[in-house]
Amino acid sequence: MTRGNFVPILVVLGVIVLFWYVMAVVMNAPWQETLNGRVNLTNVPFTEFALQTWGQDKPVLPAPHQVAGAIWTGLFGSAITAPRSLAFHAGITLGATLLGFGLGTLLGVLLAVVIVHNNASDRSLMPWIIASQTVPILAIAPMVVVGFGAVGVTGMLPKALISMYLSFFPVVVGMVKGLRTPEAIQLDLMRTYNASAWQVFAKLRWPTSVPFLFASMKVGIAISLIGAVVGELSNSAGGGLGVRLLTGSYNGQTIQIWAALFIAAALAAVLVILVGWGERLANRRMGVRA
Amino acid sequence: MSRLQTILVIAAGMASLLSIVLAPFGEASPMLQVFAAIGILSLSRLKRPMPVWVDAVLAVFGAWALFDALPLYAVEPPYFWLAVIADWLFAWLFVERLALAIRRGQVSNTLGVLIPVTFGLALLFAWEIVVRGAGVPQVILPAPSQIAARLAASVPTLAADFVQTFKAVLAGFALGCGSGFVVAILVDRSPFLKRGLLPIGNFVSALPVIGIAPIMVMWFGFDWPSKAAVVVAMTFFPMLVNTVAGLNASSSIERDLMRIYAANYWETLLKLRLPAAAPFIFNALKINSTLALIGAIVAEFFGTPIVGMGFRISTEVGKLNIDLVWAEIAVAAVAGSAFYGVIALIERAVTFWHPSVRGGRT
Amino acid sequence: MKKLLMILAAGAMALTASAAMAQDKLTLQLKWVTQAQFAGYIVAKAKGFYTEDNLDVTIVPGGPNSAPEQIIAGGGADIIVDWMGGAAAARDKGVPLVNIAQPFKKSGLMMICPKETGITSVADFKGKTLGVWFFGNEYPFFAWMNKEGLSTAEGGDVKVLQQSFDIQPMIQKQADCISVMTYNEYGQALAAGYGPDNLTIFNYSELGNDLLEDGLYVMEPTLQDPAKVDAYTRFVKASMKGWQYALDNPDEAAQIVVDSDETGAAELAAQRYMVGEVSKLVDATNPALDLAAYDRTIKALVDQKIISKAPEGAYTTVITDALK
Repeated sequence: MTRGNFVPILVVLGVIVLFWYVMAVVMNAPWQETLNGRVNLTNVPFTEFALQTWGQDKPVLPAPHQVAGAIWTGLFGSAITAPRSLAFHAGITLGATLLGFGLGTLLGVLLAVVIVHNNASDRSLMPWIIASQTVPILAIAPMVVVGFGAVGVTGMLPKALISMYLSFFPVVVGMVKGLRTPEAIQLDLMRTYNASAWQVFAKLRWPTSVPFLFASMKVGIAISLIGAVVGELSNSAGGGLGVRLLTGSYNGQTIQIWAALFIAAALAAVLVILVGWGERLANRRMGVRA
Repeated sequence: MSRLQTILVIAAGMASLLSIVLAPFGEASPMLQVFAAIGILSLSRLKRPMPVWVDAVLAVFGAWALFDALPLYAVEPPYFWLAVIADWLFAWLFVERLALAIRRGQVSNTLGVLIPVTFGLALLFAWEIVVRGAGVPQVILPAPSQIAARLAASVPTLAADFVQTFKAVLAGFALGCGSGFVVAILVDRSPFLKRGLLPIGNFVSALPVIGIAPIMVMWFGFDWPSKAAVVVAMTFFPMLVNTVAGLNASSSIERDLMRIYAANYWETLLKLRLPAAAPFIFNALKINSTLALIGAIVAEFFGTPIVGMGFRISTEVGKLNIDLVWAEIAVAAVAGSAFYGVIALIERAVTFWHPSVRGGRT
Repeated sequence: MKKLLMILAAGAMALTASAAMAQDKLTLQLKWVTQAQFAGYIVAKAKGFYTEDNLDVTIVPGGPNSAPEQIIAGGGADIIVDWMGGAAAARDKGVPLVNIAQPFKKSGLMMICPKETGITSVADFKGKTLGVWFFGNEYPFFAWMNKEGLSTAEGGDVKVLQQSFDIQPMIQKQADCISVMTYNEYGQALAAGYGPDNLTIFNYSELGNDLLEDGLYVMEPTLQDPAKVDAYTRFVKASMKGWQYALDNPDEAAQIVVDSDETGAAELAAQRYMVGEVSKLVDATNPALDLAAYDRTIKALVDQKIISKAPEGAYTTVITDALK
């Protein structure tokens, strides 16, 4: 984020927050009117009414400061090991995300290498890899977790496996494209050097595919987070942001839902930024300019 | 034969040999013994080559023999699993040799569709054999045959669910991609907006959809509009990001040419930049097709009228009708693939000029 | 030297004696998240009643999308807390669940409608939208509608909504009536300002439509093992002790439940309310299954075609008889 982006982001954020406050009044108004009617409060001046809508206990649209407050207490209000702490749950989700992301990237790279080097695998695997993503794994995540529990796989691993299923696809697609990027002229050169397939891979295909790998990893890590969150829905014993989202949802604690959502998104953003830094590091070491 | 093929041949032969050796005398199914015996004989190809189709026939025969042998035990003994491995290896061998034959021009290219089909059938078969052979309870994972039976018996229910969910999918997809496209063009005119909106857009697209769904149900009600709203939220940002990237894809030399022709902004947009952006836009459309389906299904977990694919999946799990759940998933997978396929076909027609469509391989 | 040997021998005997008194491990799968609906078991574990009876009990909370019947079928639990409707349906599907105890004698399920909707009796349901939970909680509702002759299919007399687990549908006016538990969502409704004076309340127990709710279920093959039956008996005994304690000390019980909640979402006031309401449904002195209620439940399930026929051996009195 160079200085050039800072001001525009602030401006857009400011407009969004303003719009949000206005919408909070609009959407919380009906319930506020019901509440006021119950205590026979009539002719409430608009400014006071607006303040009331921004202070409801279980609002339809929480105001930005309510969400910010919940995030603050969630992250810093309790010890980081306490179950009340959102940081604690974020940590659990982070663990499953990273494990799933690691497994997915590994699987994706392995599959891509096999597909590029073996024609039969390319023809048999690629259509099914694409089809695999049409299976709504998010919809059956709870069933998957129970199924794994039945064979004794519990804890972080089932969630990580769901994340792996979701994140391996962008890596495969990206790496297959990347491993096939070298131009015919470069491959011919390797042939004149009598390079074996392994040497062509290590010295030509792998370096050219690194940019594609990082682009795919950015997509993959965000998807892994979603997979981990969804996997947590069926395993409330394990904790995590998904569980907080759900408990907030059915206790009607809308502010909690928004706070957990924002922390999840912030976590994803931080992870993507970290991958971006990894990409810049790799690029610099491999001599990519700019 | 390539090295891989040699390894496969030897492994298949060894598996068959072990299967015969470990089979209790007189107890094992005769069909299976015959299959294993032929499997051992196939090792003779190390001396004399065999046609490609021998492996296909062998694999199919092995599958039949294994099915035949299933009812013998509740949990199958090791020799059975060795025969399964041998069968899998023969199928693999067949696919390998067919691919090689097509590359050499010995077999026509249209038969190449057999390769993914064989792989898919092998997977289904392995699923069926493992579930039935290892005694997996039906409430944990049903066998494909049970799922197919349930599918055939529940067509009206599945059709009604499909219609309900797809109302949300199509509406949300159209609205989400359309608005993403429009906003991308607006943003394109203002670099200021672009620098401010894109990072925020990336942040918002990372919000897990599962959290947006209950909020959307609160705002838009229980019926399909709330599901469409979730789909819009999921598809807007991939479309936005990809269109913006695509609008930058035209090279400077091409834009200079348009300037030479005194083309104004809109002409440049319509005649150069949008066609150049088409590969990116279609990339986003393909990604969004799967996202839209998943979004609509998952959104239905959070309150719906009692019809819809997500509703059916979540409640039938509670009723332990796991085969119906899988039938629903199969419908979703087929529908999603068809949706993706339609978009891919339109892409081939529109971006006929792009290298990835024109072929050529590295 | 002799003294030393005697001390060593005594020590060895004590060690073997304690090893012989090794605890039985049991996993209890709850039907929902950690809340005062299961106060008896949570309190029993926290106060050590299980360890007193040589049981090492792990309590696993459930939640939405989590079916206890599926978990026990997969070997993830030894005992589950389940409603009879779900357990009978599972038994019909081939999961051999057997009821070993029924602490919840009465049903806490209700349907509430704000008076603004104009609904004052069952006859007014025609054309209205009713919110219902699923995952085993829908059987009492469908049995009731069947009894009243109201069709719930698409385009029928009433429109059925799969309701989320809160009272938002009523607040947002998306459903005319919603399902609530007396001990949970009704409390949320009260907190939101609703009450008997602005709600029409249909209480399933009062209408005679109640189906048996929280009971303890195990897998039938395990009942062949006398050691397991003994462990279950001790478990039920300690659990009922936990229930009695919770009923006598509701404030402490609520605090224990909040402390035991790993998600950190449980709130003291809501749990205190829940303990109070659950006390009205639980009979802590007698966990035996009431056969009249059992027959009524099974008949309703068969009439609704939720199960194909009345099950054989779906309950056992072996454990509750031993506790008399």
